[in-house]
Order: sequence, then C-alpha cells, then structure tokens
Amino acid sequence: MITRIALVVVLQLALVPLAVLPQLSARATGDAYRMRVAPVDPIDPFRGAYVELSYPDLRDQDMSNPPSLEDGESGAVYATLVEEDGFWVLGEYTRTRPEQGPYLACDDRHWAIRCGIESWFASQDDAQRLEGAVADGAVATIKIDSRGNAAIVDLQPR
Amino acid sequence: MDTNVATRPATRAELDWLTTQLHDWRTAGLVDDGQATAIRGRYHVVADPARRFSLARLLLGLGAGFVGVGLIWLVAANLDQLPPLLRFGAVAVIWLTLLVSGEALHARSSRVPSPVIGSVRLLAALAFGAMIFQAAQSLQVPAFEPGLVGLWGVGALVHAYGVRGLGPLLIGIPALVVWFIWQVMYAAASPFAVVLALAVVAVLGFSVAALHDRRLTRFGPPWREVGAAFALAMLFAAALPFVTVEDFTWSRWLVAGLVLAGVAATAAALLGQGQQRLEPLGAAAVVGISVALVLWDTGADTSDLDAADWAHAGLSVAVYVAVAVGVAVLGILRDSWRLTALAMIGLVVFTTFQSFAVFAQIIQGAWLFVVLGLIFLGTGYGFDRARRELAATLEGEDR
Repeated sequence: MITRIALVVVLQLALVPLAVLPQLSARATGDAYRMRVAPVDPIDPFRGAYVELSYPDLRDQDMSNPPSLEDGESGAVYATLVEEDGFWVLGEYTRTRPEQGPYLACDDRHWAIRCGIESWFASQDDAQRLEGAVADGAVATIKIDSRGNAAIVDLQPR
Repeated sequence: MDTNVATRPATRAELDWLTTQLHDWRTAGLVDDGQATAIRGRYHVVADPARRFSLARLLLGLGAGFVGVGLIWLVAANLDQLPPLLRFGAVAVIWLTLLVSGEALHARSSRVPSPVIGSVRLLAALAFGAMIFQAAQSLQVPAFEPGLVGLWGVGALVHAYGVRGLGPLLIGIPALVVWFIWQVMYAAASPFAVVLALAVVAVLGFSVAALHDRRLTRFGPPWREVGAAFALAMLFAAALPFVTVEDFTWSRWLVAGLVLAGVAATAAALLGQGQQRLEPLGAAAVVGISVALVLWDTGADTSDLDAADWAHAGLSVAVYVAVAVGVAVLGILRDSWRLTALAMIGLVVFTTFQSFAVFAQIIQGAWLFVVLGLIFLGTGYGFDRARRELAATLEGEDR
C-alpha cells in the first residue's frame, strides 16, 4: 500500500512542473527584458483576477491589436526582439525558429498571436489598483530562455 | 409454536413485501390467519440503514466538494499577503496530508467500508487541482490555459486507479472531459468539431466502462454514464439545423481523441464480456448517424421549411427517441436509475428544443403547446409502456 501511495504522490508531483514548464524554464534560465505594456482587467474562473496585457511594441503599425499574421498559416510563430531606447521591441515575426536570441516563442493557432506573457495575476484589489495605475502604460520585466519561453516577473507603472 | 421469541429488525420496505407475500400465502391456503400473524409478529420496523448511510455519504460528499471548491477559490483569490512560493507550499502540504490521510483511514477501516474515506479522497483530488492552479498562479502561466485542467484530470485519474478510489475518479473524468472539449475548441472551433469531440467522449466512456466489466467493476458506471450523457448530447448537437461542416478543420487533439476512442472501442469489443461489449459499438453507431445528420445539410433557415427539412427533423427525432430508449433500457439492465433519468431528461429537452427551434415558425401560439403536449404524452406513454414490458420480461426471466 505504501508503495502504491508513494507512486501516486510521485506521479502527481511530476504533473505539476508540466503545467508550468515554459514559465519555470524562463525564470530559472532566462535573461530579463523590459517591455512596454497596456492593461485590460478580466477574471479567470479557476485562478481569479488578472490584468490582461497587450504589448504595443510587439505589433507593426498596420497590425491589429492583439496582433495576428495574415499569411494563411497558423501554429508556431517567433517574434525576434531588438532593443530601442531601453525597451525591447519587435524585430519581425517569422515562422522559423531564429538562430539567435532574444526571441519569443509564440503561437497563433487561435485568433491572435499569444506568447505566454499576456496575463499578470494579482489579488482582485491589486488587479483593480494596477489597472488604474498602469492606465497610461506600464513596463513589464520578462524573462526569456534560449528557446523563447517567456514569463513575466514584474510589472510596474511607467 | 413458540411465540415468545425476540423480534427481528426489518425495514419498512421488507415488511411491506412480507405482508404482501403473507396475503398471497393465505389466499393460496399455505398458511392460516394465526400462522400469518405469528410470522408477521416476529419482525419489528427499523429505519433503513442504507438510507442513513446514503445521507451520511451525501453530506460527506457535499462537505468535501464545498471545502475542495473553496480551496481552489482561495487559490483564485490570490492571497498576496503571502509569497507565491509559500502559498504553493501550503497547498502542497494540504494535498499531501489529505492524500496520505485518506489511505491511512482506508488501511485502518478496511473491514468496514466508510464513506469518510471516499470524502477525504475526493478532497485530496480537489486539492491536487488547487496545487496545479497555485503553481500556475505563482509562475504567471497565461489565463484560460486548458492544459491545467487536463493535468488536474490526469492526476486525479492516477490517484483513482492508484488507490482504487471512486472519489478521485468522479473528479478526474469531468476534468478530463472539460479539458478535451475545451482543447479541441481552443485549437479549431467549429460546430462539427463540437460534435466529434462529444463523439470521442461518448465512445471512450462506453469503451472504458465495458473494459471495467472484467476488472474494477465499480469504476464502470461513472464511465458508462458519461458515455451515455455525451452520446445524447452529440446527437442533440448533430440534429440542430445550423450544425454543418462549415469552418471545420482537423486539429491534432481531435485526431488523437478519435484514434484513442477507436482503439478503446476495439479493445472493449475484443476484451469485453458478453453483451456488454456491444455498448461501445452501439455508441460508435450513434456517432455514425450523428455524422450523417451533420453531412446532410438541408439549410439553417427554419422560417422556410421544405420536404428535406421535415425529413431531417423527423429522422433526427426518431433517432433521438430510439437512442434515448436504448439508454433507458441500459439503465434497467444495469440497474442504474441515473441512466434512466438521463434518458428521460434528454428526451424532454430534445423534444422541447426541436419543437421550438424547428417547428415553432409554422405551428403558432396555443397550437404549439397542444402539439407539444401530445408529443410528450405520446412519447411518455410509449416510454412507460416499454419500461414496464421490459421490467416484466426481466422479472419473468428471474423466476
């Protein structure tokens, strides 16, 4: 019986890192990049209040908000980053993985490009406070690993 | 005859049965009035222990459910007075304590099954979900990520099969079902994709249930009930006039689900026992009919019905009634009131929806209610008659 319980514990524990693998990798091995963001404020039924973030610098002037590619394909897409006035902005979107970083590994299987950095979870009060505080724009610190996995580690009003 | 013996306990239902039998025996001359009275006098009424047990189980299940959901909401509340790592650690300790406590209780009371064990296991399965969500919360995993619910479901199934516990299974199955349909919609949403996703759950549910007839039989009913519910839901969706193959694209999740369902149905047909192995094949046949109904596109305009629309609606109603009756019969054969209730509810909802969505434009006002009522009365009468005949046949076979 003890062996069986231990096996259940080990298997269940092994599932937890799977849920957070890209974010864990980015936080553990990634470098930090500062990017400008703009907030929206919704709620996730399982995980509570969060600030939905859009990244003005991750879209070209002729792109929709949030950005989407009109190339007739969908799936993995990569956003190369270049530094501009102390912030990291879009170099270009490409369907092939760039040889050098930094870049974001994103996905556009749905209606828009998502890079895994569009949500900042906070308590309901804090999310409301952040929404007001960053209404004029904010800066997110993103950690990105060598494979383009990204995680937000900080969000501050500009 | 010794009439001074201590009376024995019996439930009200048992005594009612005995009284009826004594009446029959008296009529047949097997016993006289004195003997019948003496036999009846040997028993006294007690409360049904099964009912007390069910009440305890209901309360324990409700309690575990409320506490577990509350724990997940506490994660969602994002208590930022505590650091994220500390919050994760606290939830992990709660999960581990509940998991180990459930099994310690089971080991101590293995001779007398207790519903307390089931509720602690149920709570542990919910706490595992809280741990997944807290990990995601702490590391800012993007919102509305279906994979989190999927991993919760897999973990709950590992727990259920690892300890042979029904509580975690009742968490794992719905979590996996929610994840699968959400994931398919997330990858490529379209009405036909919904029908196929429901088909995967229906066939998989019946197949796993048939496989459980060989081993771990008490795990079979939840899988079967999920299979039946989703077979009815699939047919309901497929019968809607506006459900067509428009905008449909294959996604890898849908393909993987269909392959898995096919493999499970084949395994159930090969390894299942007796007529139970036919259940997955029946579900597969319903999938075929549902797909045919979707492919037969007669248009979505219900204000201008032609012969093809009537034929589509008529066939849909006929097939749905047949499948609902099949599920009800399965409920009688499997001694499951939940399957029978499911069939009844499905039939009522389907008929009502079809009447309003498809026929409401031509049969107006009061006539609609009259026709609807007649449909219900006719269907209900047919249903009840079929149920009685089947029950009588089975009773006859038992004798």
